[in-house]
Amino acid sequence: MQVNFKILRQSQNGAPRVQNYTLEVTPATTILDCLNRIKWEQDGTLAFRKNCRNTICGSCGMRINGRSALACKENIAGELGRLEKIREQSGEGETGGNVPEMTIAPLGNLPIIKDLIVDMQPFWDNLEAVEPYISTAGRAIPEREFLQSPEERAKLDQMGNCIMCGSCYSECNARAVNPEFVGPHALAKAHRAIADSRDNQLESRLEQYNDPKTGVWGCTRCYLCNEVCPMEVAPMDQIGKIKGEILARHDAQASRPIRHRKVLIDLVKQGGWIDERQFALRVVSNSFRDVKGLLSLAPVGLQVLRARKMPLTFDPSEGTAEVRSLIEAVQAHQADQKPS
Amino acid sequence: MTGQTQAIPQSLRYAYFPGCVAQGACRELYQSTAALTTVLGIELVELKKATCCGSGTYKEDSQLLEDTVNARNIALAEGLNLPLLTHCSTCQGVIGHVDERLKEAKVKQPEYLGQVNEFLTQQGCSPYQGTTEVKHLLWALVGDYGLETLKAKVTRPLTGLNCAAFYGCYLLRAQKYLPFDDPHQPESMENLFRAVGASPVYYRGRTQCCGWPLSSYATEQAFQMAGGHLQEAIAQGADCLVTPCPLCHLNLDSRQPEIAKFLGQSLNIPILHLPQLVGLAVGIAPQALGLNRHVVKTRVFLEKLGL
Repeated sequence: MQVNFKILRQSQNGAPRVQNYTLEVTPATTILDCLNRIKWEQDGTLAFRKNCRNTICGSCGMRINGRSALACKENIAGELGRLEKIREQSGEGETGGNVPEMTIAPLGNLPIIKDLIVDMQPFWDNLEAVEPYISTAGRAIPEREFLQSPEERAKLDQMGNCIMCGSCYSECNARAVNPEFVGPHALAKAHRAIADSRDNQLESRLEQYNDPKTGVWGCTRCYLCNEVCPMEVAPMDQIGKIKGEILARHDAQASRPIRHRKVLIDLVKQGGWIDERQFALRVVSNSFRDVKGLLSLAPVGLQVLRARKMPLTFDPSEGTAEVRSLIEAVQAHQADQKPS
Repeated sequence: MTGQTQAIPQSLRYAYFPGCVAQGACRELYQSTAALTTVLGIELVELKKATCCGSGTYKEDSQLLEDTVNARNIALAEGLNLPLLTHCSTCQGVIGHVDERLKEAKVKQPEYLGQVNEFLTQQGCSPYQGTTEVKHLLWALVGDYGLETLKAKVTRPLTGLNCAAFYGCYLLRAQKYLPFDDPHQPESMENLFRAVGASPVYYRGRTQCCGWPLSSYATEQAFQMAGGHLQEAIAQGADCLVTPCPLCHLNLDSRQPEIAKFLGQSLNIPILHLPQLVGLAVGIAPQALGLNRHVVKTRVFLEKLGL
């Protein structure tokens, strides 16, 4: 079958342009094999990274039909199926015999070197920043060997599957607005380090990852990393687990992001639903202790008042007592499980 | 028993989960959902004993907490033998995902479900059974009600109105299985726009994060995120944004004057809740949809519609 490839091409300082290539392919052909054929048969100047062809090396991350993925993992049949389904969902129906199109673009959130090749340096620097190695004491050569039970090892499997392809980083909404945020790949590795029984830097790591800008609180929970990860590492879930460890060690006074979480649960215990007026005052102004925080609420407070959006009353849920005892029971159980 | 109640088919009755924001700073959402469902003949039985879904925060405390509190919410709907209806992307993603997890646990990890249910029964709550569904108002309109039926109800087609959807992360990516949409290229909001006579505006930001989760402590980043999406929608010719998520609404509407100031650029684009847009098309008065309760004024927008 014939397929059109619309590839976003760019040189370092040039404007991006879309170049079209047409190929005769079979449905099982991977996107990477298609790109290879374009390069070998039609245009040797097309630049992209590749190596293992087998979902192991993580070199061929790129945006395929609108989301970051591995070119060696996705194939024509899968992409056409997805595009066909989208077309059906939009009510546009049959393609009417048009040649199907594949849109290929470089990863996002990274500078372009050429065509589909991005400069991965910020990505590697961010990874390095979380010290993704077992701590020095843990790495000292023991007398016999590095002992770890199968259960301890199994805790590392999901994060260990990361092949550093950059798909999560490419889509990360937090990274797009915060150049200091280390990104989902680095924090998934950070969770691997703190979950490793051989590492002895747990507490200092948690303090490092607790940084409001570079660390876990930079994540905006957009779920895009989880959605695109080709290896099911679920970086956002790993970030959430690091947050859990930090939350278990601090009270609401520690910082605003921590207070945000603690106050939310407190307010549910108090009223079943969140009383937003209290939430804003307790989180942002730290119950009037943080004057700057309090003042920062003034613009939105005034706007909301003027628009008659300010809730004047709060009706607690009729299930408040039930949910309070439920939350307390679960939290007591969790505290028993986690001696920290 | 009234004749009207009898006329509502079982498939259009829902256990209604109002959520926090619609009972607080976005009461116009509560109001417009009520007004719209009444006109469409959809019956809502409000879950008065339901409580906050946690908006992803319980899970950061523990997965068990998120599962248990939301298993209780779902069990309340099961008690009525009705599907649970949300009108917030975040509530939908959180509760919908818990429902998926627990239905899977019922088969693959019964001891985990047993643990959740033991907490529930010990505190006098009904156990979770996995016998209902969790669906967003958008899905109920597109799926159960049907866009053709909706079209027949349109008395004031929104012809010429350019609508930019803003889906909200949790509606697209928190659940494993989406009934109607591709998570990266959804169409259900756009289909709804077409059904009420409006024209969809496509832009990259429609599937991205609004920045609300960061706004209490990384305010500038939250503004930058929201601001970028608003600018992009305006550049694509949008007359308004329409969102199925009141948390997105809070960042995009309530904080829009601050966002404009941060960007140094006037924005002034109205943000509608999903039932407000549909409500206008089926002839409900703007006031009855709470369109006078927005930070970004809707007057010019309504004038364009001849209202």
